[in-house]
Amino acid sequence: MVQDTRLIEIKDVCKSFGDTEVLHHINLYIRKCEFVTLLGPSGCGKTTLLRLLGGFETPTSGQILFDGADVAQVPPYKRRINTVFQKYALFSHLNVYDNIAFGLNLKNPEALGAKSRSEKKEEIRRRVERMLKLVKMEGFEKRSVDSLSGGQQQRIAIARALVNEPEVLLLDEPLGALDLKLRKEMQVELKSMQQQLGITFVYVTHDQEEALTMSDNVAVMNHGRILQIGEPKKIYDEPKSAFVADFIGESNIIPGVMLEDDLVEMLGVKFPCVDEGFGENEPVDVVVRPEDVMIVGTDVGMLTGTVESVIFKGVHYEMMIDIGPMRWKVHSTTMQPAGSRVGLTVVPYNIHIMRKEA
Amino acid sequence: MKRQWYAAPYALWMLLFTLVPLLFVAYYAFTDGSGGFSTDNILRIFQPGYLPVLLDSLRLSLYCTLICLLIGYPTAYFLASRDFSENKMLVVLILLPMWMNFLLRTYAMMTILENNGLINMLLEKLGLDKVQFIGTEGAVLLGMVYNFLPFMVLPVYTALKKLDARVIEAAEDLGANPLRVITRVIVPQSIPGVISGVTMVFMPAVTTFAITRLLSNGMIYLMGDMIEEFFITVNNRNAGSALSLVMLALVLISTLLLRLVNPDTREGRA
Repeated sequence: MVQDTRLIEIKDVCKSFGDTEVLHHINLYIRKCEFVTLLGPSGCGKTTLLRLLGGFETPTSGQILFDGADVAQVPPYKRRINTVFQKYALFSHLNVYDNIAFGLNLKNPEALGAKSRSEKKEEIRRRVERMLKLVKMEGFEKRSVDSLSGGQQQRIAIARALVNEPEVLLLDEPLGALDLKLRKEMQVELKSMQQQLGITFVYVTHDQEEALTMSDNVAVMNHGRILQIGEPKKIYDEPKSAFVADFIGESNIIPGVMLEDDLVEMLGVKFPCVDEGFGENEPVDVVVRPEDVMIVGTDVGMLTGTVESVIFKGVHYEMMIDIGPMRWKVHSTTMQPAGSRVGLTVVPYNIHIMRKEA
Repeated sequence: MKRQWYAAPYALWMLLFTLVPLLFVAYYAFTDGSGGFSTDNILRIFQPGYLPVLLDSLRLSLYCTLICLLIGYPTAYFLASRDFSENKMLVVLILLPMWMNFLLRTYAMMTILENNGLINMLLEKLGLDKVQFIGTEGAVLLGMVYNFLPFMVLPVYTALKKLDARVIEAAEDLGANPLRVITRVIVPQSIPGVISGVTMVFMPAVTTFAITRLLSNGMIYLMGDMIEEFFITVNNRNAGSALSLVMLALVLISTLLLRLVNPDTREGRA
């Protein structure tokens, strides 16, 4: 379970490479046993933030506290953190067993609760075997890592990091190279490993679905800034900006004007909503999820449009509907043939109002 | 035209200038002056006066390989390190001597070491005694190392350059301090480069001939010199061919031995 103690605190961290600032004043805390995901498009700074935690980069300014102590200048090999690298970075000169045992071999016998070298060896063997069992790779000890498939290499990379019993595990897009089915399986397995072992996970991905599935908390990043931090459901239901709304799930983003509390005008139509506290006639972005648009008869719809295209997506149909000034993406379990006229309506609590991004 | 025919010019070249001469060498090695079959020339290597020359050749070429490794590895490491990877000029400087004929390089070395050479002129100017370099084993070794060093640097440099920065980071991440990163990851992963460097230095070193004559005035006499003498001076093709064949066998055996220790060619590896 996520505990209340703050294990890692990132305070006002900036990072520049030469003249380009890739992280702007990042503030974030990570609690013990929490699964935190840094989510954003490529180039948003999420990997750089992870590398700062791992000790592979040092912040240009700001503090990174680990259990209250500043670790900004502590080299990676002295941190109680391990990393699963994007392309696994396994040691090709060592077999599976020696890859996993690499970190343990570097430790003193005492650190492993052993009194002699032979006891240490025995303890390492026990731990490596337990790890191989955890990642379901028993019997692969003597195999060369080059002979493994992507999914298997991935498991070895996870085992190699976890065997050291780190307080924090950093994962840099660890499932990026796997096919969809394997990726879904590994998502479930990673989450259950994290809960089983009680280790804090910091996970980097650009896949919003992955982030929503596994995380306790998600930090959405863009252009070196954290735009929103929160529980997956909260971020999905109440995105703070049009970018977050668009990045987390699909969205129709419509320019509108807030007429008064609980009333917004978009596409020339007044929609009742549940948002308050905006200025009168303040221009806003209105976000409507495709699954929140209801298709009704043309006589009762708040808007009317023509179905442009229909794609079968398995559970639902995805329709592009031309409503004059723009097109809306609509998800529905009932199909309307292309070319047909439909009415569209949205209930007030499914309308999300965003302040215009500066 | 089928694609394999594109290799025809090379195949013809190999046939004419490698395979056919090799057959001649083998023929002369196993015959005596009158053309009858004989193993005398091959067994000559075990006669007194021959074995010491062979051992000297082996000893000097091993020294040369070792010195090249000791100088070449750190040089390659330095060149491949991230701080200098931008600086292609340094790599070019290392490789520059390779582009010149080795005889020219050796003559250059000779003019430096000679009794009236650069170093001794300098010593004289300073009022010091001249030093006899030419004729010493050190001078020959210097010439060999000077000639063959780039052949060590280049393969090791290539191997180190291929090393993934993430793999080094992974080692640091797992608790390896900078020294451990070198001993447990960088060196083991560069072994294939070291092996090919050792091969490329040892092979030409063990058959060296002109370097010895230029830098020792014939005082140091190695297998290469002996073979040359049999062919050119003594005009005994049979003995020269036999000794060449012995050297060829030696080179083949050492290649095979090196293959055994090379993790890249061991069984179970792609």
